[in-house]
Amino acid sequence: MTAQMFFIGFFGLAAVWFGIVVFRTFSMVRSALALLFSQTALGAMFLSMQAEFLGVLQIMMMATEMSIMAIFMVMFMMDPGGLGTMEMTHQKRLSLWAGFVSFVGAVLVAIFVDWGPIAATAPDAAQQTVDLGLELLGRSMLIFETAGITILTAMIAATAVAIQPIKRSS
Amino acid sequence: MTTVLLLVSLALGAWMVAVIEEWTTSGRFRLAAPLFAGIALLGRESILARKPDRLFFEVAPVLLLLSAVLAAAVIPLTPNLVVANLATGALFVNAALVYVLVALLMAGWGPDGAYAMVGGWRFLGQLIGYAMLVVMPITAVVMRAESLFTTDIVMSQAEVWNIIYQPLGFVLFFIAAMALAFLPPFDLPIAKGELAGGVEAEYSGVRLAVFRLGRLALIITLAAATVVFYLGGWQGPILPPWAWSALKIFGVTIIMLLSGRMMPRIREAHMLAWFWKLGIPLALLNIFIVGVLVLVLPS
Repeated sequence: MTAQMFFIGFFGLAAVWFGIVVFRTFSMVRSALALLFSQTALGAMFLSMQAEFLGVLQIMMMATEMSIMAIFMVMFMMDPGGLGTMEMTHQKRLSLWAGFVSFVGAVLVAIFVDWGPIAATAPDAAQQTVDLGLELLGRSMLIFETAGITILTAMIAATAVAIQPIKRSS
Repeated sequence: MTTVLLLVSLALGAWMVAVIEEWTTSGRFRLAAPLFAGIALLGRESILARKPDRLFFEVAPVLLLLSAVLAAAVIPLTPNLVVANLATGALFVNAALVYVLVALLMAGWGPDGAYAMVGGWRFLGQLIGYAMLVVMPITAVVMRAESLFTTDIVMSQAEVWNIIYQPLGFVLFFIAAMALAFLPPFDLPIAKGELAGGVEAEYSGVRLAVFRLGRLALIITLAAATVVFYLGGWQGPILPPWAWSALKIFGVTIIMLLSGRMMPRIREAHMLAWFWKLGIPLALLNIFIVGVLVLVLPS
């Protein structure tokens, strides 16, 4: 139990530290990879909490997603190859407030929500995969499908906004 | 003990890949050549690029090797010879191999050189092509086995191998695996004769040795994954399980290394177009067919 708590704490701190590194660096590629390591640390936290499927999935998905984010940033930021330097923070006052408010909100939710009875022991990894599949294709299906469509729409919209329209000479 | 056995098998496999690769490219069959090449690389100076991102530059070769070894850890060579028989094994193979991309991205961007950088970004484009074609055929394999345990996947092929049960999935996975291992005709990030070695361009000496070893381990791991997912793993008559695994992996490796040699290097845009417009619909079709088969055929 103590070893488990230690690893959860360790990877949690690592996730926070890499999250800070995202804004301390001056390169888009370093920033994106720092975010990747932050998310990988979250995956390791899942593994420490014996949530094997979620942990492996998190570690797998984030590597692809963060790398693709890096190439999108490089493509749209007029910085060939991502070799230039760039300030990673902007709208500082607003961002600080937004960060603070969401942090307080998350803490309040964590404390005051009734999470239901806590399982004494985690079910074994194969059973977790089955449970997760039934959950995703049952009760939570609508939520996940909605989230998926929303993310896809946001990606298409962001790309459309970022691309400079080509003026075609008629 | 299993870990040591796996590492020894991986080392033997990497040596075999190096010998076959030389044979397929130059026609010379020299068993000692990889050893001499390795010693020569270790003896040479390992030059540091002028303004590298030191962290990425140093980590990249090790990460490439590590991701191949980690993926190999969940692959069973015999019923008992598997380092970690995870309940998420089939997913874990993919999770570990995604870090090949991260390693190549670091190797491309780290040394601050033009050729390397182009190679690194090219491989990212390549990932966008092959990633779905690795995951979706594995999904169909898992559907038949009704388990993510790699040992269960092998046992599910006791009567009919997956190459016969889902040939479409096999073809897609095999091509995607070749793209993942950046073997010709998908050797865009290295692109000898065009990018001067690409992601390898700025590496030399011991760092290059680790990078090359990582690539060899990656090829052998992918061949082993193909055997486990589609060729019935260790199963076969008369010979012991380890011999069947070794023979099948050997065969898959030879086909992987030979088949691409006769083709010109594919262009990135063409590859993406083929993989997305033809590959993904076929992979979806494969999932559909396997779904129907699983429901209709008695298990």
